[in-house]
Amino acid sequence: MAEVVLQHVMKYYGNLAAVNDVNFTVNDGEFVALVGPSGCGKTTTLNLIAGLLPMSGGDISIGDRIVNDLDPKDRDIAMVFQNYALYPNKSVYKNLAFPLQMRKLPNDEIDRKVQAAAKVLDITYLLERKPRELSGGQQQRVALGRALVRDPAVFLMDEPLSNLDAKLRVQMRSEIKRFHQDLNATIVYVTHDQLEAVTMADKMAVMNGGLLQQYDTPARVFANPINMFVAGFIGSPAMSLVPLQASTVDGRVSLSSVEGWSLPLSDANARKVASAKSAKVVLGARHSTIRLHKEAATGFVPAKVYTVEPTGDITFVQAFLSGAIVNISLPPTVSVAPDEMVWLEFDQERIHLFDGETEMALRAD
Amino acid sequence: MTSASQISRPRSRKGVDGWRWTGRFFLVFMILYTAIPMVWMLLTSIKSGFAAMQFPPQWWPSEPTLASYQKLLDPQNSVGQDFLRFFWNSLFVSVCTTILAVLVAVPAAYAFSRFRFPGRRFLFFAVLLRNMFPAVIFLVPLFILMRVLGLVNTHGSLILTYLTFGLPLAIWLLKGFYDNIPIQLEQAARIDGATRFQAFLLIVTPLSVPGIIATAIYSFIGAWNEYIYAATFLTKNDQLTLPVGIQRFFSENTTDFPGLMAASFIMSVPVVVLFLVLQKYFVRALTEGAVKH
Repeated sequence: MAEVVLQHVMKYYGNLAAVNDVNFTVNDGEFVALVGPSGCGKTTTLNLIAGLLPMSGGDISIGDRIVNDLDPKDRDIAMVFQNYALYPNKSVYKNLAFPLQMRKLPNDEIDRKVQAAAKVLDITYLLERKPRELSGGQQQRVALGRALVRDPAVFLMDEPLSNLDAKLRVQMRSEIKRFHQDLNATIVYVTHDQLEAVTMADKMAVMNGGLLQQYDTPARVFANPINMFVAGFIGSPAMSLVPLQASTVDGRVSLSSVEGWSLPLSDANARKVASAKSAKVVLGARHSTIRLHKEAATGFVPAKVYTVEPTGDITFVQAFLSGAIVNISLPPTVSVAPDEMVWLEFDQERIHLFDGETEMALRAD
Repeated sequence: MTSASQISRPRSRKGVDGWRWTGRFFLVFMILYTAIPMVWMLLTSIKSGFAAMQFPPQWWPSEPTLASYQKLLDPQNSVGQDFLRFFWNSLFVSVCTTILAVLVAVPAAYAFSRFRFPGRRFLFFAVLLRNMFPAVIFLVPLFILMRVLGLVNTHGSLILTYLTFGLPLAIWLLKGFYDNIPIQLEQAARIDGATRFQAFLLIVTPLSVPGIIATAIYSFIGAWNEYIYAATFLTKNDQLTLPVGIQRFFSENTTDFPGLMAASFIMSVPVVVLFLVLQKYFVRALTEGAVKH
């Protein structure tokens, strides 16, 4: 096992920077998720670590070695692909044995390791089958087996769960997490599903447009998103973002809407707003921190219900507030109807404020 | 309402059936169109020379005989000697063409499929340039070229010429095949410890066998049947390939129709055998990627 360090890693396609000055360190034994929307550069970053693509600049080291110019086979890595990439003409046994044969291990040792890996993943009964005779979940296990049979320094996983159906995905998610804990493996895991990243990873690297947006533990990324992109991407339903104007009403700093209402801010939040470059401030709030009222009161703001989605234990409500859509979660006992006027109360301790110009989170200092 | 739906329903069903029956008639017509000449060839080949010329024709030979076949395949008489020599010449030229076409097309198609290099698109379409014109147009230029190279009256001239037809097709066919092999397989192999070449040899090549076989059949048939270049480039009797040899030989020895038909039948045997043995690969190659597996 080893640590992986990326320093100023660049990848250009023509003039387009697919990966733009990305820096992060994956510590030994850590599970890091690269997460972002499609085309954000996360898979390219993974392929650069694997050595499947040449870098345009920067350094990648695995363990103590700079691996910039090493072939994939010399980097001591294993990779699990989205489509599993099992060799279709080889049996499961031969798929597992292939990495060992390529390293010219003696046959008895290959057999021992293949059997051991098959036992760990509970696929011994599949060893003689061809990949096309396996279900998606079984193929997934074989792909994992082929990665772990060699005991590599780093595991790279490229959306390994996205081809599975929803139920199996949840099951395999916990199995991969367990696999990480049991082996104490260093894993770099690419996913577009922020829920996978949040539930599995020790740290998450949120990428967008080739740039690394934020690199931290899921809890801290969730609690303190660094900018509006991260705020909107992490968490489901997404954090609501409402563009407003900062103003001073009756000596108190408030956020006012074009709809005519204004929301007075606490002192801590007022200090944050003071650091904004202009009066444009975006109010961010997660669904669970917004309370819905049927009656008006001071500090409440008016909104109009758009849709109501009962899920059984929680009812999600979308409402229009100052032209933006706001997600709110309610206990199923509260009933609201579309087009009903409601009043929202924001928890001043838990709202997020962003600079409307730079889209960065506003800090109190 | 009801009357409208009653009228419109049978009408639409009738339309579908009409098309279906048109299709069936067309297919039957195509089968007869292709099969009748072959059946007639077989029937004529087992007639005597006299019976073949009779009018009205004998639909079924009254005295079937294998004499023509015996004559053609007997190395003792001059007819058999010539025929077997032509057969061997054709086989030699076709097999050499096929092997060279596959040897060149496999790496070329792989490169077109996997690598991004300057001029890739241009080269890929330039490969087809040769196939945009009828073969006859290149007859004289190629003949002059072969004379300069000193290849006239050698089988080498034919092999080179056939490659100019066969290679573009082979490259296009194989490229489509490689495009359908997920690149992740090679990436996985390279991560598992293979070099780029090992990944190609150990992982991609076994998967592309159907494509290679289809390509080989195409090249072989193209070379096996070719007439006009063989008739132009070769003049010596002992070098002729089957299509030219059959034509020349039988126009010289009056018109021995049973012999001609027997020779044509024997000529079609290697192609038919190739197809029968390899057809499942061939069909798979042509329909690869058409349906999701």
